[in-house]
Amino acid sequence: MGGFVGIMCLLGIGIAMFRRSPQAFLDGPSEDMPTRLLRWAVGLLSAQRAEWGQAMLGELDYLDGRVRRLRFTLGCVIAALLLPPWGRAAAGVWAMIAVAVGSIGLYASVAIRYRLNAGDWVWAAILVLLLAGYLLAAGALLRRPGVAVPGLLGGLFVALASLTLSGFTFYGVIGTIPATWEKLVLMIGVPLAVGAAGTLWGRDPVIGRRVARLAAISGGLGLYLYGTLAVAVLGAGGPPEDTGWTVRYIVSDRLGSNLIHDLLMTTLVTATFGWAGAAAARRRGGSPAPTLPGPFIPPASPDPQQEA
Amino acid sequence: MQRNRPPSAQTIRVLRALAADPAQWRYGYDLATEVHLKSGSLYPILVRLADRGLLETSWEPGAGSRPPRHMYRLTLGGREFVAALGTARADRTVPHPRSRWSEA
Repeated sequence: MGGFVGIMCLLGIGIAMFRRSPQAFLDGPSEDMPTRLLRWAVGLLSAQRAEWGQAMLGELDYLDGRVRRLRFTLGCVIAALLLPPWGRAAAGVWAMIAVAVGSIGLYASVAIRYRLNAGDWVWAAILVLLLAGYLLAAGALLRRPGVAVPGLLGGLFVALASLTLSGFTFYGVIGTIPATWEKLVLMIGVPLAVGAAGTLWGRDPVIGRRVARLAAISGGLGLYLYGTLAVAVLGAGGPPEDTGWTVRYIVSDRLGSNLIHDLLMTTLVTATFGWAGAAAARRRGGSPAPTLPGPFIPPASPDPQQEA
Repeated sequence: MQRNRPPSAQTIRVLRALAADPAQWRYGYDLATEVHLKSGSLYPILVRLADRGLLETSWEPGAGSRPPRHMYRLTLGGREFVAALGTARADRTVPHPRSRWSEA
């Protein structure tokens, strides 16, 4: 099942990239990597800062040398990611930071309490990197217009659907192996619904895709926190009856399963099938609403060098 | 509420570079190179200076297929600010340039 879902995800990503721009998919990108990266980053800026995004892009065009361009771009990307105002997106980011920090704290407390071995601390380092990446991605998505509220609601829906099928119990989260129909609902049905709802909410499949991605990250983070809390509370206890294994092994195995299932699988599957749902809803949705601001166009002004 | 924190050492370097020839329009990358700042530090500083009315910006039309280029110079208020900064700083210890606590 896991392999099938993985292949479906890769296939879905390939199809979506091809459909978005067949020419670019076949011929490769027309712009170099720094330009594409910076173009993405300046899209995160609020409308009142759009001029500064164009300033960075314009400046990049006058720079030669791959290393110089890349260094300039990386600095600008960081600036664009952090530059205020963040508006209401800041609340969402702080909430997700709280969930991520809580998860890491719980993981560390369990690892210390059960004296887990070095391998589990390596996983802890991977967890920190993974969560940092998720927070960065979530911060970028939250700043996109029309994405924060439906994305976070979508994440709540993903988490609640999973918890509902597990009976809202710690035992259910850790010890229950879902039936096939439950897997289909959680891995395909729910993500499709989230992506489609995102498109219908924003009346734009681009917003639908972003909503699906934010829902994937926020839902995955929420489920991971709940799963880690379950391990912290239950330890090696509860079903299934794991006879023959040490407590340390069971706890370590449960922590690892949470990371793989909640943070990697749930996130990847929700984002991918949500993407498909968003694209499918485009055919049924109406015309796109003008929610996405157009690019800032620098004003045509006389040459100021001559003024000076 | 407007916060009036003192400018950081990095901001002062940018201000002084701009004040060296206040009538001259400057490009972002050239400015960054001159004051030894990365673009990730320079642009937030420029944004804050512009927000405070100390910096004016303009676009140089692009030549051929090239895009317009953004340029910067101090406003009259900016020049007065730098002048006042020099007077005020003369009696005080200059903060360590590596200090991060007083970022503009």
